[in-house]
Amino acid sequence: MTGFKDMTGVPEFLAHAITLEQEAAVRFDELADMLEVHNNHKGVVELFRKMAHFSRLHLAEAKDMAEGIAVPKLAPWEFKWPGEESPESGAIEDAHYLMTPHHALSLALASETRGFDFYQSLADKAADADVRRMAQEFADEEADHVATLKEWLGRYPTPDAAWAEDMDPPVSVD
Amino acid sequence: MALNSVSIALTGSGGAGVMTSGQVLVDAAAKAGWYGLMARSLGPQIRGGESAALLRLSPSPVQSMDDCYDLMLAVDWGNIERFASEIPLTSKSIIITDPEQGDVPAIMLAKNPIIVPIPLKEIAASVPQGRVNMVALGIVAALAGVPEEFCIEVLAAALKKKGPEALETSIAAMRAGAAHADKVQGVPKLDAAVKTDKERWSITGNEATGLGVLRGGVRYVAAYPITPATEVLEYMAPQLPKLGGCLVQAEDELASINMVIGGSFGGVPAMTSTSGPGLALMTEAIGLAVASETPLVVVNVQRGGPSTGIPTKSEQSDLNIAVYGLHGDAPHIVTAPTSIADCLFTAQWTVYLAEAMQAPAILLSDQAMGQARAIIDRPADVAFIGQRLTPAMTNGAIDEGYLRYKVTADGVSPMAIPGMKGGEYTADGLEHSPRGTPSTQAQHHQEQLDKRERKITGFDYGNHWAEIEGEGEIAVVTWGSVTEQVREGIARVAEAGGPKVKLISLRLIAPALPEKMAAALAGVSKVLVVEQCHGKQFTKYLKASYGLPPVVQTLNRPGPLAIRPYEVVAALDALAAASA
Amino acid sequence: MNIQAPIKTELTFADYKSDLKPVWCPGCGDYSVLSAITKALATLQLPRENTALISGIGCSSRIPAYTSVYGFHTIHGRALPVATGLKTARPDLTVLVAGGDGDGFSIGGNHFLHACRRNVDLTYIVMDNSVYGMTKGQASPTTESDWTGSKLTPEGPGVAEFQPLEIALSAGANFIARGFSGKPNELVKLICEGINHPGFSLIHVLSPCITFRPEQREYKSMVHDGFGGFGFDDGTPDRREAFRRLMEDDGYSCGVLFKGNTPAFKAATATPATLADMERKFAL
Repeated sequence: MTGFKDMTGVPEFLAHAITLEQEAAVRFDELADMLEVHNNHKGVVELFRKMAHFSRLHLAEAKDMAEGIAVPKLAPWEFKWPGEESPESGAIEDAHYLMTPHHALSLALASETRGFDFYQSLADKAADADVRRMAQEFADEEADHVATLKEWLGRYPTPDAAWAEDMDPPVSVD
Repeated sequence: MALNSVSIALTGSGGAGVMTSGQVLVDAAAKAGWYGLMARSLGPQIRGGESAALLRLSPSPVQSMDDCYDLMLAVDWGNIERFASEIPLTSKSIIITDPEQGDVPAIMLAKNPIIVPIPLKEIAASVPQGRVNMVALGIVAALAGVPEEFCIEVLAAALKKKGPEALETSIAAMRAGAAHADKVQGVPKLDAAVKTDKERWSITGNEATGLGVLRGGVRYVAAYPITPATEVLEYMAPQLPKLGGCLVQAEDELASINMVIGGSFGGVPAMTSTSGPGLALMTEAIGLAVASETPLVVVNVQRGGPSTGIPTKSEQSDLNIAVYGLHGDAPHIVTAPTSIADCLFTAQWTVYLAEAMQAPAILLSDQAMGQARAIIDRPADVAFIGQRLTPAMTNGAIDEGYLRYKVTADGVSPMAIPGMKGGEYTADGLEHSPRGTPSTQAQHHQEQLDKRERKITGFDYGNHWAEIEGEGEIAVVTWGSVTEQVREGIARVAEAGGPKVKLISLRLIAPALPEKMAAALAGVSKVLVVEQCHGKQFTKYLKASYGLPPVVQTLNRPGPLAIRPYEVVAALDALAAASA
Repeated sequence: MNIQAPIKTELTFADYKSDLKPVWCPGCGDYSVLSAITKALATLQLPRENTALISGIGCSSRIPAYTSVYGFHTIHGRALPVATGLKTARPDLTVLVAGGDGDGFSIGGNHFLHACRRNVDLTYIVMDNSVYGMTKGQASPTTESDWTGSKLTPEGPGVAEFQPLEIALSAGANFIARGFSGKPNELVKLICEGINHPGFSLIHVLSPCITFRPEQREYKSMVHDGFGGFGFDDGTPDRREAFRRLMEDDGYSCGVLFKGNTPAFKAATATPATLADMERKFAL
């Protein structure tokens, strides 16, 4: 499910870059929202907001690059992602209402790493030279993020095994 | 007796066709210029079984049943014990019986009526293909004085599809019957019909209700059949497409009411029709309509309850579920027509109320008026057309900041309709903020409860909330189809020089309007409540909702026995004698 | 001042989301379904004002308010009739219906049968997690008969599971598919196809409840493409073949199962007439 799929050229590459960043931004906001509603550690919400913000900056960059280029319109299932979703969309199923900054950073790190892998394999293997060049730019930025997140993660050691324990039962809502 | 009229019962079983005879007779009488009423008493059988066409003809408008029947023609005596009590007789009543059907059952002889044997079957057999019900029609039409030509005119229309031969046969049988009419003496004669230019209609209560809701603007109906409400839906089914609307048959009443909610959410005035068991199933969804402020109309044609009860017989015992049946504090509208003719007005008005207040309205009709046919003067046109308040649009879009459940002075908030740009909102049965967002906050609950109540109680219902007639220290407070018998009873009291009696027949059951009732009851010291309900639901509702004079008596009875005018007279006499 | 014609801008999937924050547990599969629905609406560029999303009661039924189209969060089990009413009264609208397995197959079971056979042009997205989440985790119609996770049925419900796809096929649904919340972009495709296909479309979505059925996290390793060994896109118009594929289905096949050719429900039409015309019927 993670096979490499080449791009037909710069327009298609930019379609992917734009969508990747936009979906990542929305997803990180979703993660921030869900944890805001569920009263998690404040730092987690802030972290996800920060990630959404970075994604929006990247989105703006990608859109700048696409200026004057006829970027193709792809249906969600037509994208050539290595996996099921655009690689930087944080995995919803990894969210948990008691998740700590450590978990949030791990989740973010995983998504940035997937983003880096996506761009780097295009930088390495794309047939089109322009795609390789652009992909390398994006990959380098992602590498920075990966390094930053790893550094932050070092400050938040793995919580003890009981982090998900909750003395109270779930609530009956409807 | 105040009113010049003749009351006739045609009874028979097993496909005797007495309903057709009755229908022809009432329509022919109408063509002759008279007024009339035909109610039906039916057994539980789908085909055959016992049935009675119960007619009253008069030169004056009449929509009430008389005290008793002047003439009863029994084609046979099958199952008579099941409905003999619905056909009260006196010693002056005449029973026409076919000797071939055996002796007149003892249950019919209690009042010592006059028995006239006529060999109906033998007469029918004398005409090739002759039918007994046409023989009966001939006899009864001749006795009532309905000219033959009008019967033939009505028959011709009814038998159009069957061809001229069928008509000839029917006419021959009818004439053969009429030839025996002179054996019968003492049937009251009707005064000559008064010639007028007024347009007159032959219509049932259920048809009038259907027409009324169409006039009010309903263009979407979801339907699930139930006795005695189905005819409302059957009447509307072919009409709606002609008006650009539609009727969809649902899988059950849970579906029909929810489909109505969906249609109305889409901006199309919507209704359904049902009876007690169906209304019970609908109550949860009607609560949703209250909370989501989705206008709709439920016509409930009442029958005997509880449970499956007596589906074919009338009762006024769904008042409690209509008024109190919703869970939570759920202000809504409950209306009731006061006669067959009034079904038209009340149905139209009810659509108007529902749309204006964005609330569900339950219209309580009943079997007695729903399934009865009356000859009436064409009701006046009224201006009530459902008008829903929608938000203002600028350049094709709703202004920014739109709040679906905005708290307003009169409680009515502009309702965006799908298709309106900028109005996108989620309607909700959960308590919500003005925007519609689900909320558990005390303040939101309080202000939304307040607004939903305010829009119902603060609405200007004008003087349509009740029919109020006459003045007096005694008032009869009543509702629904029994109003007509009450009106006749009051007229008789007046004619006999009795005390003056005021009539208050409520068209608006809920909300209660205490100020208007107080004004109506000013100077009244005694009240008689008349209702067709074993548990006195209406009396209890009045006592709970209104300040009534100290003396309140109730004339009540469950269905299926109609409350007759003489009983109203007797109850008024007793009330007049009661010490204050 | 220049008066310019309004520029028609493309709506993105984010434009179909509202600013409300879902009450769903972090990690719930329904977030991905919401995302898929908004992506489908964006893919089809459906005008928000002409689209409606109707739901019943339950976790997943909270979804309409999280979108920016017209919505109705109705009562338990009644989403389908409300949607049927809306669509038959307003055929010009695109009407989607959403809800859970309890809402759709238990309390709303009768409506489900009749929605399938009535074949009104609706797209019904059922987020199936085999549990009642809003009431703290009781067995639903699609719960395994030996699941002992609820205090209400400590020995397990002891009732065979409801088979949504088999029942939909039997009852006459015109488009039947299964998706997985963990494959949101495939789900977008299924939803788009369902919307475009005439008549009643069922999109059965496996959407894990991480709170009451944490074992459902394993769905992602259990789901697979295609019914009966066929590829993702191989919906068949042949009912016999569709039944055969269902007999081989392990409950985790994803893709389109069935694409029927039955025309969508259409209300009767008639030559226009006025109320005055109708009243004449009663005149003597």
